[in-house]
Amino acid sequence: MEGSRQPGTPPAVGHTYVPIPIRMSIEDFLYYEAGVLDDQAYEAWLELFTEDMRYEVPVRVTRERNAEWDVSPTARIIHDSKDMLRVRISRLKTEYAWAEDPPSRTRHFLSNVQVLPGENDGEYQVRYNLLIYRSRGELPRYDLLSGKRRDVLRETPDGWRIASREVILDQSVLAVHNLSFFL
Amino acid sequence: MQPTNATGVPDFLERMRETLPEGRVPAKIFNDPNVYALERERVFSRAWAFLAHESEIPHPGDYVLRWITDNSVIVIRDEHGQIHAHLNRCTHRGNQVCKAEMGNASHFRCSYHGWTFKNTGELMGVPYYREVYKESLNRSEWGLRAVRVETYAGLVFGTLDPDAETLQEYLGGFQFYLDFFLKPGPGGTEVYGPPERWIADADWKICAENFGGDGYHTPVTHQFGFHLGFYPSSGTTHFMGYAVHMPGRGHTIGIGHTPGLPPFSGFPQEVVDGMHATLSPEQIAVFKDARMAVGTVFPNLSFLTQPFSLTPKQTGVKFCTMRLWHPRGPGQIEMFSWCLVPKDAPQSVKDELYRVYNLAFGPAGTFEQDDFENWTNLSRQNGGSTAADFDLAYFQGLDWEPLQDFPGPGHAFTPYVTEIGFRNLWGTWLNYMLTPVGQQVDRSRVPPAFHPVDAKGQP
Ligand code: FES
Ligand SMILES: [Fe+2]
Repeated sequence: MEGSRQPGTPPAVGHTYVPIPIRMSIEDFLYYEAGVLDDQAYEAWLELFTEDMRYEVPVRVTRERNAEWDVSPTARIIHDSKDMLRVRISRLKTEYAWAEDPPSRTRHFLSNVQVLPGENDGEYQVRYNLLIYRSRGELPRYDLLSGKRRDVLRETPDGWRIASREVILDQSVLAVHNLSFFL
Repeated sequence: MQPTNATGVPDFLERMRETLPEGRVPAKIFNDPNVYALERERVFSRAWAFLAHESEIPHPGDYVLRWITDNSVIVIRDEHGQIHAHLNRCTHRGNQVCKAEMGNASHFRCSYHGWTFKNTGELMGVPYYREVYKESLNRSEWGLRAVRVETYAGLVFGTLDPDAETLQEYLGGFQFYLDFFLKPGPGGTEVYGPPERWIADADWKICAENFGGDGYHTPVTHQFGFHLGFYPSSGTTHFMGYAVHMPGRGHTIGIGHTPGLPPFSGFPQEVVDGMHATLSPEQIAVFKDARMAVGTVFPNLSFLTQPFSLTPKQTGVKFCTMRLWHPRGPGQIEMFSWCLVPKDAPQSVKDELYRVYNLAFGPAGTFEQDDFENWTNLSRQNGGSTAADFDLAYFQGLDWEPLQDFPGPGHAFTPYVTEIGFRNLWGTWLNYMLTPVGQQVDRSRVPPAFHPVDAKGQP
């Protein structure tokens, strides 16, 4: 992935990117996926990714307006293959994932969905806003993270699958003690 | 959270002077507003603070913004390649002159009235200089306030204390151990990208202690790793290795061994060759059998080298992370976590090391997540009203004998799992805390961290 300055160049205004039924079906899928994740059904969630998937959360920094990039082209908070995601999930299933026991309660809110044609047939680029609320234990405090997702969704015989996901968070210094939940 | 000024030395710190040599530490030191205020005044104003790695600012004009407690510091390389650090505070009204955490600048122009400072700190431009000051302002006196800077093996440190001993003296021989992290070849190390930064309600001290060699926590906190088959070590041999500390200085390191591992296992061949070229025979003797090493430079800079892999049951590679436990307030830190890679290694090796580091450390790291779960909960509990009278158990290794023929400096012990180094760490810290500003910190006042018992059983 190229390093980038956010929000990059917007696509042309007023253009219908993809047929409405496809767009609606993609939105349906993303809401379903967010629900599966918030319900902590991690194995079912993992199934929603392609085998060659990648999942990246770049490091963001605070820079001057004219700097070349503020989303690092190299540094990643998460840079997972499907195998690595599998490790994270099998970790959660051990009795020793202390960070998530008792589990965090999360809500993923998705909005401002844009669907664009993908680079390959049957693939679509989906860009949208993300707001994650996380509550832990009996503490009155909570975490709130906002960001932008850039997904590539692929049409498969089983329905939509996520071929890549990039989550660009808005904070450069994250106000969370860990990211033991999925973004 | 707004820190307050110190209102005196809490009773439990006075008591700690007596109890620490017996292996007792008041729980309250791990989360207390007055302790934080005293640390600001007596520890962080006098110690050498880690600022940056030289590779973060490789070119003239490159800068990063860092902290010495609540003071923002610009760390910048000038046109001649020399590194400076300045307080990020305009000398006119105190406005912040640099607002980006990294970048390149020949000058900083204050956005309030336009005073302009060169990257060396000199005041160059003052709007309406002649008209409003009429010669009364001596520009040479009003540059950005310099922070004293010294470097070791690519690490840039700064101190607010103009009378501080040199960095070399301050490290006091611990360089012998730091070289394992910092000299994996003639080119040294470089950072892989900017640090990951995040905020946690945890006291910086518990983190600094943990990375001073808390091998005791690993088989429990990070049990998932053993469970899924990630470690070339089993719970039964995990305690083996060395624990070393620099008496009176607080620096401490744990070096874990696994019987039967080949020398320098887990390092790419280029790095093994590099270490043979840069490390002394004594250093090689200490580190060749290390499965991992984890150490802290007093007060709050730590390093860890350990093997890990992207999926379980692989041999794995040894990455290195450098971390700064920046105190933001009572019971709160801002984390800076870097991955250091050997500068001479091929890009593919650097990429692999970074990716492995990333699965283990950083806010989403599978190790780091669980550490922070413990550290935040512990800091909350130790902020409770009963914590001032509540002593924590620091007994491990009280009567151990140091190794006589150890090739490195400091006091060395075996095995690796022990709390001896932590008693020295907190003894050093307490010595700063109990020495008022203006008096010299006398390192000979730090009590020994162990009391070997002689043949007759007498201490
Ligand atoms: S505060 Fe900087 S010029 Fe006045
Ligand atoms: Fe740990």
